[in-house]
Amino acid sequence: MRNIKGNFISALLLLFAIAICFLSTLKFLSMQKKEAIFPSRGLTSRKMLSSYFPGLKKTWGDTDVYLYEGQEKGGNLLILGGAHANEPAGFITAVLLIENIQVSTGKIIIVPRANNSGFTHSQPQEGNPQRYSLESPWGRRHFRHGSRLTNPVHQWPDPSIYINPAGQKLSGADSRNLNRCYPGRKTGSLTEKIASGIMELIKKEKIDLALDLHEAAPEYPVINAIVFHENSADLAALTLMELQIEGFDFRLEASPTNLRGLSHREWGDHAQIMAILLESANASHGRLKGKTSPALIVEGKDKNYMKAAKLGLLFVPYGEDGIPLKLRVARHLAAVKSILSNLEELYPEKRIEIKNMPSSSELKKVGIGPFLNPPN
Amino acid sequence: MVAIFVLLAMLLKLPIGISLAFSALAGSLLGGEGIGLRHLVEGSFGYFDTILIIVTAMIFMNVLQASGILDTITSILLRTFYKKKFALLLSVMALIMFPGMITGSSTAAVLTTGALVAPVLMKMGLPKVKTGALIAMGGILGMIAPPVNILVMIMGGGVDMPYVGLTLPLLIIVIPLAIVISLWLGYRDIKIIEYEKMKAILPPSYSKKYGFRLYLPLIVVLVLMLGQSVLPRIMPDIGIPAIFLLGSLIGLGCGRPFNFFKTTQKAMQQSIPISCILVGVGMFIQIMTLTGARGWIVISFLSLPSLLLYLGIATSMPLFGAVSAFGSASILGVPFILALIDKNAIITSSALSAVAGLGDLMPPTALAGIFAAQVVGEANYFKVLRHCLMPALFQLVMGVAVLHFAPFIDKLI
Repeated sequence: MRNIKGNFISALLLLFAIAICFLSTLKFLSMQKKEAIFPSRGLTSRKMLSSYFPGLKKTWGDTDVYLYEGQEKGGNLLILGGAHANEPAGFITAVLLIENIQVSTGKIIIVPRANNSGFTHSQPQEGNPQRYSLESPWGRRHFRHGSRLTNPVHQWPDPSIYINPAGQKLSGADSRNLNRCYPGRKTGSLTEKIASGIMELIKKEKIDLALDLHEAAPEYPVINAIVFHENSADLAALTLMELQIEGFDFRLEASPTNLRGLSHREWGDHAQIMAILLESANASHGRLKGKTSPALIVEGKDKNYMKAAKLGLLFVPYGEDGIPLKLRVARHLAAVKSILSNLEELYPEKRIEIKNMPSSSELKKVGIGPFLNPPN
Repeated sequence: MVAIFVLLAMLLKLPIGISLAFSALAGSLLGGEGIGLRHLVEGSFGYFDTILIIVTAMIFMNVLQASGILDTITSILLRTFYKKKFALLLSVMALIMFPGMITGSSTAAVLTTGALVAPVLMKMGLPKVKTGALIAMGGILGMIAPPVNILVMIMGGGVDMPYVGLTLPLLIIVIPLAIVISLWLGYRDIKIIEYEKMKAILPPSYSKKYGFRLYLPLIVVLVLMLGQSVLPRIMPDIGIPAIFLLGSLIGLGCGRPFNFFKTTQKAMQQSIPISCILVGVGMFIQIMTLTGARGWIVISFLSLPSLLLYLGIATSMPLFGAVSAFGSASILGVPFILALIDKNAIITSSALSAVAGLGDLMPPTALAGIFAAQVVGEANYFKVLRHCLMPALFQLVMGVAVLHFAPFIDKLI
């Protein structure tokens, strides 16, 4: 009798565990569904990253590449968003550009989800929501909030110590961090293959200048920053001056020569292009964050960070209004615009002309929604 | 959440893992997040890799025992060191630390070379709880010693500090501690014994019977582990769990015959309680982050006046290690480095890693303490932790002293 009772309880617990597995699996799998992006009429072609590096075909590392080519020849620009899928300002800036711009001179290539695999999961123990949404005139648009790292389901296990393709020794988890894996390895891990794919894109599309859009915690020293490879020092310096005149507080950071595997270092060293990384400050990204929620990602208000600012622990001003996503995206857009105007000044033959670029001042006023396209 | 955990674990005597899971669930409900099923499941995967390492390492350890490899190595070590107390303690400490130095994990050290030296130390007179303490401390010192200190790598990743120039600062911290701690724990109890007495306690050696192949599982595991660091481009990285499993399978045909199924069953029985705790801790920390409790704890420590900052570091980092030493390095280590930004980050992070490493002694996870207790056959790991108290204090003082004197050390090196 006791045995039967024991078996019954075990069977019940087993059923309970199966039910939990089933329900949570549905939740986790829902992250594999890509959010739609509705490109502007200026889009000239759309490819996959695997068309530059076939090793990525049919993997979770393959990702959409949007090309905008002008009638006149000029410079070639690559804009990368979503290298870290938990840094939404980079991704949303890329989405806004895809949904709005038209290029008349030169070529712009945009990769909104540079690490596509990172968008398919969220980081354990960070307590982040799976999605956040933005109100637009056409209804709510939902976007995934992924992880800084490649999904372990797609690349596993991590080594104890990761020695990246550039020879830098890092903690094992960084083997899944795209922005530590440049210049990539064609026969390496999925993340290294993605890095390789991006390097191939840079070479095959004859990219002159590449921008990597990121976010970081407000307590991180390299914040509200333009991180530049020495190839783009003049461009970065002119951009800083212009942005400061426009009222955006940025700082310049030279790409360290002994910190290897990052985009701003390896793109410049291996492809000899101008390479710039932009950082904005995101409270949902930090170690001091309070209650996590989609509102924290979009509105960027957090009491802990206000307290930290008063204690002088932050590298950016942080007041009651927080640092909302619209401001973070506006900063990125202002920087992109300024970089393009200074590119023309320094290298007229590499001029890139864009129409319908979302205005950063307008964005700060009306928010992101009005710049999103209606569903096709 | 903490109060509910104490109620469930201490008063209702529920297993620690279950208490953590229920208190996480309660935290989610009280925090207005509902049942938070996705968060509970996601959090439980936070230590998935660690759990796999633990299970496979435990299988490997049991295979070493069952095949007679452990007895043979104990026999060799006893024959070599039975007359040399000082040399025995220092060599044993270096031996325990070695896998930790290469893998950056105290668990790897405790469960491999820790398991090898445990019988020797006990046969030479060191009580089993002190043997456990020596192994646990050796594992932690191995974890913070160069060339691989994952705690510093994690902190460095948070402040863009490359992992270079750390060997000297880490050695300055680790070498004195290794000498002092091994002598503190072992010098009084280890006995120099006569040859005849040594022979009487000598376990059977299977070296002659099986020859070189007896050592094959150990050699394969060490070569695969070390090879990843020494020859990263040549040696395939199959992951630590696969290395332990491969070693276990090789052990099946290398020594005394044994029932592999029963051995793995025993290993699973030994590893399930700690795996359960880690699953519970994962859920707990996820809900703490979700509700903002984690951020509140971090900002509270960072709000301490500068005079109390060292005290905050000395208490919060080991305490947070109850979640995980690596978690402590990431969540607290990075803000503390930034709070001490006026000092050399290489020295600061080295010192903080010594403090964070002590987290592996903090219950309920206490990875180093729990495994060391299992290695020496002590059911109550708190008895091992009690003997770790003074050595841990030495390490804490050393860490804080290096933090305080960082500008002076900076000039010296």
